[in-house]
Amino acid sequence: MTKWRLMAVLAVVALLAAACGDDAATTTTAGPTTTAGPTTTAGPTTTSGAFEGLSFSAPDCDYGGEFKTIEAVDELTVRFELCFPDVAFRSKIAFSAFGIHPTEHLEATGGGGDALVANPIGTGPYRLEQWARGNQLVLKRFDDYWGTPAIAETLVFRWSSEAAQRLVELRAGTVDGIDNVGPEDFATVANDATLQLIERPALNIFYIGLNNWMPPLDNEQVRQALAMAIDKQRIIDNFYPPGSSVADQFLPEDIPGYAPGATWYEYNPAAARDLLAQAGFPNGFDITLAYRDVVRGYLPQPGVVAQDIQAQLREIGVNVTIDVMESGAFLDASDAGELTMYLLGWGADYPDATNFLDFHFGAGSSDQFGDQFDDITTVLAQAAALSDQAERDVLYAQAAELIKQHVPMIPVAHGGSGLAYKADVVGAHASPLSNEYFAVVDPGGRSTFVWMQNAEPIGLYCADETDGESLRACEQINESLLAYEVGGADTVPSLATACESNDELTVWTCTLRPGVKFHDGSTFDANDVVMSYVVQWDASHPLHVGRDGNFTYFPGLFGNFLNAPEGDG
Amino acid sequence: MTGQDGLVPDPTPPEPLPSGGEAERADQRGETARLPETRGLWATAFRELLHKRSARIGLVMLAVLIIVAVFAPLIAPFDPSDPVGIKEGIKVRSGPCVHLFGCDRSQPQHLLGTDGNGRDAFSRLLYGARVSLLAGFGAVAVAVAAGTLLGLLSGFFGGRIDNLIMRVMDVLLAFPALLLAIAIITVLGQGLVNAMLAISIVTIPAYARVVRSAVLTVRENDYVAADRALGVRTARILWNRILPNSLTPLVVQATLGVATAVLEIAALSFLGLGVRPPTPEWGSMLAAERNQVFTAPHLVFFPGLAIMWNVLAFNLLGDGLRDALDPRLNR
Repeated sequence: MTKWRLMAVLAVVALLAAACGDDAATTTTAGPTTTAGPTTTAGPTTTSGAFEGLSFSAPDCDYGGEFKTIEAVDELTVRFELCFPDVAFRSKIAFSAFGIHPTEHLEATGGGGDALVANPIGTGPYRLEQWARGNQLVLKRFDDYWGTPAIAETLVFRWSSEAAQRLVELRAGTVDGIDNVGPEDFATVANDATLQLIERPALNIFYIGLNNWMPPLDNEQVRQALAMAIDKQRIIDNFYPPGSSVADQFLPEDIPGYAPGATWYEYNPAAARDLLAQAGFPNGFDITLAYRDVVRGYLPQPGVVAQDIQAQLREIGVNVTIDVMESGAFLDASDAGELTMYLLGWGADYPDATNFLDFHFGAGSSDQFGDQFDDITTVLAQAAALSDQAERDVLYAQAAELIKQHVPMIPVAHGGSGLAYKADVVGAHASPLSNEYFAVVDPGGRSTFVWMQNAEPIGLYCADETDGESLRACEQINESLLAYEVGGADTVPSLATACESNDELTVWTCTLRPGVKFHDGSTFDANDVVMSYVVQWDASHPLHVGRDGNFTYFPGLFGNFLNAPEGDG
Repeated sequence: MTGQDGLVPDPTPPEPLPSGGEAERADQRGETARLPETRGLWATAFRELLHKRSARIGLVMLAVLIIVAVFAPLIAPFDPSDPVGIKEGIKVRSGPCVHLFGCDRSQPQHLLGTDGNGRDAFSRLLYGARVSLLAGFGAVAVAVAAGTLLGLLSGFFGGRIDNLIMRVMDVLLAFPALLLAIAIITVLGQGLVNAMLAISIVTIPAYARVVRSAVLTVRENDYVAADRALGVRTARILWNRILPNSLTPLVVQATLGVATAVLEIAALSFLGLGVRPPTPEWGSMLAAERNQVFTAPHLVFFPGLAIMWNVLAFNLLGDGLRDALDPRLNR
């Protein structure tokens, strides 16, 4: 008898050990990746007075990234030398992933971990008061702010993944503003005198990804047939809120590079069936459609849209099995090219074609659509290196045609979304980049503004975050060199009063704002800027740690890391 | 002795012998043949059942469900997976429209309205009965088969086998049922069959324990001892003596188990782990429209009602069966 008991105990211990072992494994992979690689040619250069400006340079431009040198010329001047011209540079450095952190704080926290991720220090109008994980995020007004101080003394972030619950809370008065009103509730909110509805411009794209590694999608005719079989108008009419539009190309209309003349295949199920027969599938085929059950502005009703696509494709004999996946696993699998057909979208981080096209179809893009198409990558590379927008537009129109021909994905919709605020909230706005700025919001004279979004921020060191829920919180705490205008996408001065380039767009000099204080009382200077960039840029930097160490946006926007690990980038 | 041997009312033969083979054997052994007017255990139980009103209601509700499930294609006005509403040009999630009750005749008729995909909600509800019943019965059938086998072995042989089986059952019982089911589905993959299997595995311990405890009392009976003395093979004793006489509590447990299984299938589908779309299933129908509870309440109300109907039917029936099969309540 005792023998058996002993065995049972052993079994339980073994289970526990297995569970813990798993845990330990993840922590190790998330740990610092400070492998000794080729070192940066770094050396402090003394310029004026007591200020020692930091300067970092890449040995050459062969590493594939955009930066050549980042240098603090003097206390309030930073110079970026680029390897190739970049017309969108201003928009890029205004992005919230490139917020400026105090050098001392980066060093003290080791550049990552909870000390930084849950305790950011910035120059923004709000400072972090308390992050009760799973519950709420409380920010307090920063009294030494350089600009107009925030109106509400306290800013609270809360979250709920259910649109119905967000609306209930808003109506009950426990929150002052909510993100992503459910498509069904637009009319309800608009007709409610105690609420105000603000529509967010559709600066995004919802697409059906088609992976050319996976048969039968390796056949271009099959992909074209699928493109003809999707009735996009029906999807917009039935499942999207007002303000949405049918997508005939990957770029939304307000993004520079949009090709006004570009068209997509006409909806024609009969022609689709013929084309499938030509491709050797007269009776259709079986295919799996994957999606994540996460509401985004570009896809307000994932499950319903997936089932409608399933029903539409059944009309041409394509038998679709729907696979709902967990969000993180889904994104990883799509990036790795493991999904055959999937529903995904993209929202603008900064308003330029590179943010959309290069990220998805450029030379440095992931395997999400299988093999890249060389003709598309060539055109995109040419367009990115040009500074004249008219010349770029010609190339982007070509790219749109090539994408139509190869069908790496089917563009479906530019999804409008809506925010709702209480009627007495002054300064309520919607940002086309989903980065609402709450310092200008007056919650009807109350001292606290409570905002409810779809999900909890994952981390508050946004250099290493990608989801909009985190970026929006970071936007209140940390500031970048430039900022986007409130409720718009144009850049305005922020920590830098101006950023000017030479004629070739390869050297950018930013003049910094004097007298800016960080939340911890330290003074902002050019070295903080250099350091905040370099820890992201140089993958072998000891402070290149972050939350999971991916720093996804940096290579996405600036080509590649310096000293990137082998097989990466 | 608490006994299962007291189950049969009236002047009882020392052991209840339900099957024909048993009577033959009894004859061979020269025992007294049964009185011809004695009704069998199950016939008595059924009569008893019909005397209880709640059980009668349960039976009727179950009959309705079964009829709906079997004849769904004949009753349903539309194909449950076809977005008819969109093709007819009416809004998705439009409310019920019944011409008989004053809905404008120019509008297409949908008894319970259309769902988020423009599909007929009434047709989906009817087809949902198929999935629920199939899953409920299927899950319980597998669990009963496995649980009975394990319980028989465990109870009859005792000792190490008993210990081993029952400790494994304890481990299974230690996990919350739904959580374990989710874990199993994570391993097996999504789908109706896998969801059924997961629920079966989770409920095996209950059946194994019920059978085991019945077997423990039955195996001490004289007729088992007699068989042993006559040198009957163990398998035969198990199959012909022990099993039939241990079944009554199992039947009650299984009936109530169907209700639980239906509920768990609905829960798993609600979590997106059950049926794959577009198969209509009440739990997944609820989940799909949960955000529209204020704007389109009919899409949440009726699937919920259907789940309740189903669970209530089996619970009422199970309760009635328990009373009918309980010797202490014999009138």
